[in-house]
Amino acid sequence: MKVQRFAQQCVAAMICCGMSLPMLQAQEKATKANQSEGLNVVAITGGKLLTVTHGVIENGVLVLSDGKITAIGTAKSIQVPKGATVVDAKGRTVYPGLFDAETNLGLIEIGSNVLTSDLVEDSDEIMPHMHVYDAFHAETTHIPIARVNGVTMAIVAPGSKDLISGQDSLIQLDGKDRDEMIVSKDIALAVNFGAEQRRVAQGAGVPKYPSTRMGLISQLRQTLLDAQDYKNRKNAAGQKEGAAFKVDLKYEALIPYLSGERPVVIGVREAYELEPIMAVAEEFHLKVILNHVTHMDDVLDKIASYHVPVIFSSIWELPEVGERYDAVYAMPGRLANLGVKVAIATDSYEKDRNLPYAAGYAVAYGMPYEEALKAITLNPAEMFGMGDRYGSLDVGKVANVVIANGDPLDVRTSVEKVYIRGKLIDMSTRQTELRDAYSK
Amino acid sequence: MQDKERRCEIALRLLLALSALVCTGGIRAEAQTTNHPVDSVIRNATVMTVTHGTIEHATVWIHDGKIAGVGTKIQAPPSAVVIDGTGKYLTPGIIDPHSHAALGNDINERTSPITPHMIMSNAFDNRDKTLYFALAGGVTTAMLLHGSTNLIGGQSVVIKNKFGDDRDAMFFLNAPLSIKFAIGENPKRQYGNRNELPATRMGNFELLRQTFEDGRFYMKEWDSYNRKVASGDKTAVPPRKDLKLDVIADILRGKFYVQIHCYRADEFLTEEAIAKEFGFKIRAFHHAVEMYKVAGKIAEDGTAIATWADWWGFKDESADAIPWNAVLSMRKGVRVALKSDSTDDMRHLNVEAGKMVHYGGATEEEALRMITLNPAWIIGIDDRVGSIDVGKDADLVLWNMDPLATFARTEKVFIDGDIYFDRSADGLGAVKFHGTMHSGGFGGGEDDSDDEGDN
Repeated sequence: MKVQRFAQQCVAAMICCGMSLPMLQAQEKATKANQSEGLNVVAITGGKLLTVTHGVIENGVLVLSDGKITAIGTAKSIQVPKGATVVDAKGRTVYPGLFDAETNLGLIEIGSNVLTSDLVEDSDEIMPHMHVYDAFHAETTHIPIARVNGVTMAIVAPGSKDLISGQDSLIQLDGKDRDEMIVSKDIALAVNFGAEQRRVAQGAGVPKYPSTRMGLISQLRQTLLDAQDYKNRKNAAGQKEGAAFKVDLKYEALIPYLSGERPVVIGVREAYELEPIMAVAEEFHLKVILNHVTHMDDVLDKIASYHVPVIFSSIWELPEVGERYDAVYAMPGRLANLGVKVAIATDSYEKDRNLPYAAGYAVAYGMPYEEALKAITLNPAEMFGMGDRYGSLDVGKVANVVIANGDPLDVRTSVEKVYIRGKLIDMSTRQTELRDAYSK
Repeated sequence: MQDKERRCEIALRLLLALSALVCTGGIRAEAQTTNHPVDSVIRNATVMTVTHGTIEHATVWIHDGKIAGVGTKIQAPPSAVVIDGTGKYLTPGIIDPHSHAALGNDINERTSPITPHMIMSNAFDNRDKTLYFALAGGVTTAMLLHGSTNLIGGQSVVIKNKFGDDRDAMFFLNAPLSIKFAIGENPKRQYGNRNELPATRMGNFELLRQTFEDGRFYMKEWDSYNRKVASGDKTAVPPRKDLKLDVIADILRGKFYVQIHCYRADEFLTEEAIAKEFGFKIRAFHHAVEMYKVAGKIAEDGTAIATWADWWGFKDESADAIPWNAVLSMRKGVRVALKSDSTDDMRHLNVEAGKMVHYGGATEEEALRMITLNPAWIIGIDDRVGSIDVGKDADLVLWNMDPLATFARTEKVFIDGDIYFDRSADGLGAVKFHGTMHSGGFGGGEDDSDDEGDN
């Protein structure tokens, strides 16, 4: 029944896209002549479709047209449109492009080389006016390498050294320049709370405020109070004709977050740090996405009680003394089982290609497979308000599609084709070029 | 365990040993000094031997800590403890040839570029939690090396990961001596930042050559003295005993396996030239991310590599790292091991090996060999561990499925025939560990850790 409904949706979508029913009923095989007409329609046939939203379709047909998914269903229910480029995916797995909910892609090239880093402006701990899009390096070698393993969308976040380190951008991992790749600027605010953000003394130096967790919490509250005050004064000034108002970019940047219009991603690792930071979030009615929650396996109910989504970007972090060896591996599954919406992320600039394997570990340690797949596709898209555009094989969504020779979460699987916005991606990277050059 | 309990247990085990002897009618009696049962069998598992294929529905018989039989028609003594392997996979224990786990923050004696007299076992902390995590990931043996700030760092310690046993019991008995060298960015950064030699690769290699010249001279002085003594010269005066040069001389005498941290193709070639100039062999290049560029040449020298599956881009000299390096190098005749150099990767080397199926099309056996028999060769213990063969130590891992899959989990880990990790056990699963673990140093995932280690 589900398939029928989708078939109907598909037909409806095709009509919306300007295609006619007779076209849909036309013969299956595309001809060269048709392709040259520039219809830009691709039909992926015969594959096992992991739809994310409506189960697995064996021997499915997926139609991509002008950058969108325009039809999906079984071979019986979907007619391949006339003129479509047919891609045979028999024996292959087809799934939505992966969405990495926390990365530093394009902010750093070589980890040890500080001159290649634009990770974080840590001259002050309150830096909401730092915009990732100002530093995002579209030509980084790390992006092609991530996308040939099926990663097609990523949140780029600044480094975590600051209490408020800036605002994230959403990127797609293809495009001819920065403007094409950045899908959404300032999509979320990056807040971090824990040991790393304290301005403790370096070497023989003196500490700066805030050098403790108490200091961090007070500093955050004061900043948000000042931002509210700024917003009120700005509104008041706006009502007076011709009144001059001095714009302060730092507080300006915080306004959309005070109203809960956009999400605040709060990175926090220790169970004892959760309540203090969530108290601030509740005081200011922030729209929270929790990040990391690495060592919180004894407060899972507490996390669930906040009814906020969680990005788990810590699966490769070690448990602490006293924790079981699989305490961190098991966290995504345990959270998902409590009904928490979980995204799994890499929090990386050079290991993003391993995103599907991070989800695979979560499966090994108890996360249901469907949930793990969701955690790297639909869930992150939804958390950032992009669920209507990305994260599943559904009609109307952006045509980010991956074809692989096996289970996407298994390290032994090879990705064969990647479509981003309906465009077939060149699978060569700097690394394949090196491989080929030295394989001769 | 209380002493009384222990005595009871020993008595019980002696009884068991005797009964086993009677039942099998003539297995050579051996003194039972360890606390493992005399015989145990893992039945009906898919056994990946590494040396002679994968055997379905096979039995592995463990006798007195050694592998006593492998196959489908093994008759173990009826008294043997039976472990059901139905639906599970059995592999040799994983061997990590490059780790800094359990060395606290004592990884680098970064006060001089030449410190061969550092002996890593002096820093070994057998309660480090990272050993537990590695055990739970199937690591039964590891070589723990000095860090990479120094051109010649120190002498490795090889351990059996018998987590919970006494510190002394964890050293791998009679493992060959290995010494760590390092070249490239790390020594450059460490000493260059202090405006000291070596700040460049020129400085790296020239200082290395001078060190060997010094070692050569020292060796000749001692050889001359020893000749005099041997010929009955009572007036011979011994040269000054120098702990540092002693080791350099022993490297020149071929008494150490030389393990070299380096990344770039030009570095491999220079290192081999220096080794030939001074007459020693290089056992393995570690990291070796550019081996695919010169693998044909290095294969002729017989030097192995211990590399990562897919690490890259974290420093300038890893910019040309490609995930096909391991398989391409292997195909050109280089012996390849995967290693962790990371307390994280050390927990899932099986998955890292699985990546080799994807990157370059290694067979599962080839991939598994990279984390078992080949690292054993690098350490020099491949005659004792690294495969499931009769006579080898019973260091084994039982997995819930094919261990090269992302979804694989360690079920049980055996070392010398004893179970050290059991996922189904209560608590931590480290069945022999009691007491308090330590938080570890390098990459220990701790707050405020200022030691980033030195990849």
